[in-house]
Amino acid sequence: MGIFRWVVGAGLLAGVGTVAATIVWPIGKEVEEIALVGDVNKGAYLARASGCIACHTNAEEGGAPLAGGAPLKTDFGTFYPPNLTTDPDYGMGSWSAEDFARAVRQGISPDGEPYYPTFTYPFYANFSDQDIADLWAAFQTVPPVGEAAPEHQVTFPFDQRWGLKLWRAAFLPEPNTASEPGRSEAWNRGKELVNGATHCAACHTPRNVAGARIISERFSGNANLPVGGKAPSILSGDLLAEGWTADDLAYALRSGITPSGDVFGGSMAEVVQFGTRFLTDDDLDAMATYIMDNEI
Amino acid sequence: MRTGLVILTTASIIAATAALAHKGATGVVLERMQGMTALGDVVKELTPMMRGRTPFDADQVRAGADVMVTHAGQQMTSLFPEGSVQPVSKVLPSIWEDWDEFVELAEQLELRAEGLKLSADVGLAASQADQAASMMGGGMMGSDQAPAMGGGMSGSGDMMTVDMFATMPTDTAFAAVAQTCSACHQKFRAEDD
Repeated sequence: MGIFRWVVGAGLLAGVGTVAATIVWPIGKEVEEIALVGDVNKGAYLARASGCIACHTNAEEGGAPLAGGAPLKTDFGTFYPPNLTTDPDYGMGSWSAEDFARAVRQGISPDGEPYYPTFTYPFYANFSDQDIADLWAAFQTVPPVGEAAPEHQVTFPFDQRWGLKLWRAAFLPEPNTASEPGRSEAWNRGKELVNGATHCAACHTPRNVAGARIISERFSGNANLPVGGKAPSILSGDLLAEGWTADDLAYALRSGITPSGDVFGGSMAEVVQFGTRFLTDDDLDAMATYIMDNEI
Repeated sequence: MRTGLVILTTASIIAATAALAHKGATGVVLERMQGMTALGDVVKELTPMMRGRTPFDADQVRAGADVMVTHAGQQMTSLFPEGSVQPVSKVLPSIWEDWDEFVELAEQLELRAEGLKLSADVGLAASQADQAASMMGGGMMGSDQAPAMGGGMSGSGDMMTVDMFATMPTDTAFAAVAQTCSACHQKFRAEDD
């Protein structure tokens, strides 16, 4: 009995110690100074491609651009994409370019807190300093909106942000965006976009109980999207079997129209409306080339 | 040409009717599914032309637009009486909660399909002398059509009037029609399994 109590006590102590250590455990990497001059148009283009505008704008409710998005209901709680306008109190107006770089590439707030992975930062980890400078320049053009997005409604234990450090340690994937020799320029550009900025896998890959993508099942679809929707498989084999060509896919990303004469519904309609229809023909062709020719 | 289209449309309606009926749709549900199929058939038929892959034929555009008009607006909404749910139907119950929005989208489809018909005289954007980046294309990379960082994003298209279509490239008008289809499906159609 005495020993039992000691063991439990030691266990509790160790547990508390582990939690305390986790809370103070530093995460992320040092951010070098972002000294490059950004190009507003390129940044706005990248923001479109990356879904910043789609997710952080509540178009449905007539919200101002980037002033905070529609709620995302997940198994872990309801998340409210925050205000990314230039407002100093409720947006990013008081941030430095380095704060922004860390938030986008590493998923860490200026206060050093890890973001929830509903923010698709894991896909942006390989953005170059120039990409960041361009985005940052573009975000400076957003009119301030002095209104906070609602706090996330997350239940215990997921409301404990330190837990996200464990999540990061266990699940944070590196985006596979590197060019491969021997593949065409279009294919490599497609790979960079699909696995990076446009983060197709965020919806088209199933997630485990911890909400992390199951990398081995990449692109095989997800029947349990946050908004209650379903994302079909975009494995090239499945798309081919349904009669898609790369050309069809590029056009669908532009227009929402599928080869059967149907149109995208669900959240893919939104992806096209606020994102992919603004991309260049070259980029859409590149994405389609990569997705269709991507034997996994 | 027109006769061919009519025969084709009739044939596809018969084929679609057989397929849908087989899945157990009856009454208004069957009727609206046939309407949706007819709309999809027009989209499918016009798509290669809108992409410049097949020769442009203004008559065919106008005929297709006419078909769309007959399945839009009041005609469409009348086929969705409250509670008309059948296992084969993909309608989401929210359509009856947000009925006004559905009516708006159905009317928007009618307007844009009428606009598509008017735009048939203009031809494709690529054929225009003073071709700027088309409304649906180009975008963002320095184009003033898509203001940086989401300006005018909350459906500037909502404001489109029929007259505006008369000077609009046909493929831009077609894209506007497809956008309405998509907006409505996003809200009121369940996703496939």
